Amino acid sequence: MASKNTAKKSLKLAPVLDLNEATALHERLLSLKGAPVVIDASAVERIGTLCAQVLMAGARSWEEDRMSFTFAKVSDAFVKTTQLIGVDIAPLMAKEI
Amino acid sequence: MDMNEIKEIFFQECEEQLAELESGLLKLNDGDRDPETVNAVFRAVHSIKGGAGAFGLDDLVSFAHVFETTLDCVRSNRLEPNQDVLKVMLKSADVLADLTNAARDGGSVDEARSRQLIKELEALANGELPQAAAAEPVAKPAPVAAPAPAPAPAPVVNEEGFQPVAFSFDEFEANEPPAVEPSTFEILFRPKSELYAKGNDATLLLRDLSRLGEMSILCDMDELPALGSMNPEAAYFAWKISLKTDKGEDAIRSVFEFAEWDCELEVTLAGDPANAGEELPMQPVPFDLSLLDEEAPATAGASEDEEQAVAQREARDEALSAAATASKVLQMAQTARASAESAKSATPVSAAQAAAQQAASAATPTIRVDLDRVDRLINLVGELVINQAMLSQSVIENDTNGTSSINMGLEELQQLTREIQDSVMAIRAQPVKPVFQRMSRIVREIADMTGKSVRLVTEGENTEVDKTVIDKLAEPLTHMIRNAVDHGLETPEKRVAAGKNPEGTVRLTAKHRSGRIVIELADDGAGINREKVRQKAIDNDLIAADANLSDEEIDNLIFHAGFSTADKISDISGRGVGMDVVKRSIQALGGRINISSKPGQGSVFTMSLPLTLAVLDGMVVTVANQTLVVPLTAIVETLQPEASAIHSFGASQRLISIRNSFCPLVDVGRILNFRAIQANPVEGVALLVESEGGGQRALMVDAIQGQRQVVIKSLEANYTHVPGIAAATILGDGRVALILDVDAIVAASRGHSLKPEMSLAAAG
Repeated sequence: MASKNTAKKSLKLAPVLDLNEATALHERLLSLKGAPVVIDASAVERIGTLCAQVLMAGARSWEEDRMSFTFAKVSDAFVKTTQLIGVDIAPLMAKEI
Repeated sequence: MDMNEIKEIFFQECEEQLAELESGLLKLNDGDRDPETVNAVFRAVHSIKGGAGAFGLDDLVSFAHVFETTLDCVRSNRLEPNQDVLKVMLKSADVLADLTNAARDGGSVDEARSRQLIKELEALANGELPQAAAAEPVAKPAPVAAPAPAPAPAPVVNEEGFQPVAFSFDEFEANEPPAVEPSTFEILFRPKSELYAKGNDATLLLRDLSRLGEMSILCDMDELPALGSMNPEAAYFAWKISLKTDKGEDAIRSVFEFAEWDCELEVTLAGDPANAGEELPMQPVPFDLSLLDEEAPATAGASEDEEQAVAQREARDEALSAAATASKVLQMAQTARASAESAKSATPVSAAQAAAQQAASAATPTIRVDLDRVDRLINLVGELVINQAMLSQSVIENDTNGTSSINMGLEELQQLTREIQDSVMAIRAQPVKPVFQRMSRIVREIADMTGKSVRLVTEGENTEVDKTVIDKLAEPLTHMIRNAVDHGLETPEKRVAAGKNPEGTVRLTAKHRSGRIVIELADDGAGINREKVRQKAIDNDLIAADANLSDEEIDNLIFHAGFSTADKISDISGRGVGMDVVKRSIQALGGRINISSKPGQGSVFTMSLPLTLAVLDGMVVTVANQTLVVPLTAIVETLQPEASAIHSFGASQRLISIRNSFCPLVDVGRILNFRAIQANPVEGVALLVESEGGGQRALMVDAIQGQRQVVIKSLEANYTHVPGIAAATILGDGRVALILDVDAIVAASRGHSLKPEMSLAAAG
């Protein structure tokens, strides 16, 4: 169990995830491939469509790799934006164990 | 970049859009029915409106809105753009230009005219004929851009029935449409990558959309590829949205106003409002989206004073959207290009045209530069040229042996300077198109005022000439066009009686000819009434009653000060600006103007102007110990006359025979009063020149010093106009030399009319 936990990588999202951030986010996410990832979206104040696309593409890729891709903490703005654009993140929310 | 700069850019963009608008309308007027032309016209008005909205230019917005609505009817094939319709539209384009200028410089606009046009435009949009529209005021709001949803119940004004309500445009623009029963719309929104590339974000559009009512949304992620193969800046998400709103379809479309070229958008009224949104697993969107506002302060939600928070938010939104719109305005041109390409595939019929457009749109990137900076550079380069010439001269004077390395270096320097100069001049070169386009408006207005039917044909609009020349060209050209329509063309009745097309044609042509730009203005009117001109000249003591004048000389009389053949001073031409002023302003540009007229067939005004006002290739000559420069473009050849070739003709005229033809000999020194007696031609050199009026003359000078490029220094600006002299220059040795106005010299040698002026100038 311990080894699995250490292998897990985490990614803290920047407060502003606008159009300019999409490429950077894409690169960061790509660099994390191959290991389970926990995303901390607690600081997110704004997220644009491009970054949402990157995150969702990430979720899919991780799913294909049968690795876990979860959101640990999310800000209100993050939740509301995803609701607004019809992206359901509920299945990706980390379950309290 | 502060707001004023953004605004300035907006106005510059406006100018381009207005030009685009006008040329598009003119194309339509010529029978072009390419949907892309209509689109281009629509986009031009649309982007002016968008930008104007961002800067709170309400007059401009309201007019552009009505204009746009009518154009949309054309775009959606609900209105046939026939001549009558286009007449109204061209006038509207003029008013739009006026409003833009007024917004920029604070000038005034003819409000009655714009109100009248708003009525006419609305009438057109309502499917009424232009004539009927002009007659009665319209009391209907303009129809919406797309098929309207269920007819909204008209608000009952009083219980006796419907009262005609005077339509106020302000209300229509400022307020939302009257409250109607909420209806549910199905919206399909599929952004293209361009949307994001232009700084738009679908999230913000969806946020604005959600404010219109109750919204459920389904995000279509089918296109989303794997992380590794995706382009993070491309568009993959698309949305199906169900929106229940009482604001109507217009409000929905206006959310996507600035994105409409960059996305697929379908807005349809749901068949059954009760069931809508239930077939698809849509996610309801929470109503409170305040947190999603950009830069939302963390405390926004907690603020007790909700109203104030809302007000602040709105103010911020406005500011943001203003800035965003400004940047969008900048992107409009790109948008236009992008859709030009997309339209190409849609209309294979006009593939050739579209290809041409594509070629045109594939223009190289450009930057905007303050004209002052270019001027400064040009001035400096001018000084450099002079300096280089001085350096060459002093090297030659001091080092008679001519060290080869110095000479080679100097030669290279000379070539480089020359190249720099050419390149700098090219920066200032601009096509005459904007000026020509302005003329079409002048023609329309005058045609309207005089009740004549006129068609302006322009050719060679892309001929390039120095910006300063272009700027100074507009005024004389305007006056000449006015004259051509007012005096030149006959009334339709007279034209028909003369067996002509009732519609007169004014043809404006520009072309390059031997280093100059030649602009021709031709009308197919009645031509100059020589009898009348002659009589008038006699009445005004311009010529003696028994003067024997050639047709050409009579025609040229109209360039004399205070000469106007109009029987009564009309509102159009009789503004106290005669053709003499036109001639003077052309001359001030170093140009010449000529007229040729055929009775019953019309007149042609030919203007020949230098391409640039900064440099000139000249031949440096000596005349009576004075150094003069003769523009190289005028010189055909130079020759050393032999005594046997010189023949006397009349009392004082002399001819020179060149290859079996005779050519009048013009003693430049004598004409300019440099010497009292005629020089001996055999001791000098003859420069064979081609004059504007046709025919060759041999100019007699004493000697040729050399050939060089000289920097033109205006005599008018630094001293005063001297007939026979076009400008001055500074030579390598620091001396000032006068540049000869060859045509004036030729004219002076031929006629007597310039003599008094000449001697006056010589005396002064």
